[in-house]
Amino acid sequence: MESIQALSIVMVGVHIAAAIALLNGIFTTFGQGNITSTAIESIARQPEAAGEIRPAMFVGLAMAETSGIYGLLIAIIMLYANPLVNKFIEVAFKP
Amino acid sequence: MDLYVSNYAVLHIFGIDIWITETIVNTWLVIGILTMVGIVFRIAMRNPETVPKGLQNIAEIVVETFRNFVLSSVGPGLVFLAPWYFAIASLMLSSVFLSLLGFRSPTADWVTTFAMAFSTFFLMIAMGIKVKGWVGYFKTFLVPGWPFLPINVIGELAKPVSLSFRLFGNMLSGTIIIAIYNFITPWWASIGVPVLLHLIFDIFFGVLQTYICVTISMSYVNDAANG
Repeated sequence: MESIQALSIVMVGVHIAAAIALLNGIFTTFGQGNITSTAIESIARQPEAAGEIRPAMFVGLAMAETSGIYGLLIAIIMLYANPLVNKFIEVAFKP
Repeated sequence: MDLYVSNYAVLHIFGIDIWITETIVNTWLVIGILTMVGIVFRIAMRNPETVPKGLQNIAEIVVETFRNFVLSSVGPGLVFLAPWYFAIASLMLSSVFLSLLGFRSPTADWVTTFAMAFSTFFLMIAMGIKVKGWVGYFKTFLVPGWPFLPINVIGELAKPVSLSFRLFGNMLSGTIIIAIYNFITPWWASIGVPVLLHLIFDIFFGVLQTYICVTISMSYVNDAANG
């Protein structure tokens, strides 16, 4: 019974950690918004350069997205493939 | 829920366990489809003509567009890499479209994307050495001064990891969102809406990420060779 309580505490911690890891999406989105607004401004100022600005904008968006994807992967690993939780289950529920 | 890559069989060869996973089977499916498309194009172009028509026209348009894309990214010195990038791009695109048929996309497994990114890593080093020579390439690690050597080495090693995680994270998040949607809704909700979800997460993000992955791996090679 005690180990089940301890496991539930561990699971709560894991879910909170996953939520915190996903919070970096805020900053990623701000950065991507900055990139897009600057690109739109420069396209509006110089519409003939749109063909060169657009690929650069997509590459910049992908670069800025990297940190968001790291956070997502950390959250997924926390929830579905957490090595610490498996280790805990192995130790606590040893037959 | 298909969050995990399922395992079909385990081969024991010389004491080594080789797992035949869903990813391997689906990748061979993609390779088979691409090989058959290549054979069809080869047979249709048995007698190439000066004025192209039919399938030869399509093939010339695709190859020329991709060659110009590579030429504008890595410069005329390295344009012989165009077939390799075309192979990578067509493999990624076909695995994106394979997920529309109900199979799990091979790029939703980190193994596939890391293999591609690792080959880009070796290509980067090889092209840097080819263009600049051994001494010239390793001098680029000492750029502002010798104390920056560890930072530059870590920066180089982080490139394949970030390149592979970007594609993998996008494809896996799409797979997970569609799986969760199918899991939490009743049967009648899975009639029309998953088409929209597949359109956004598989087609739009998949094609965009393929384009970005190829562009960034070309810019890495360009930095190593010409930067």
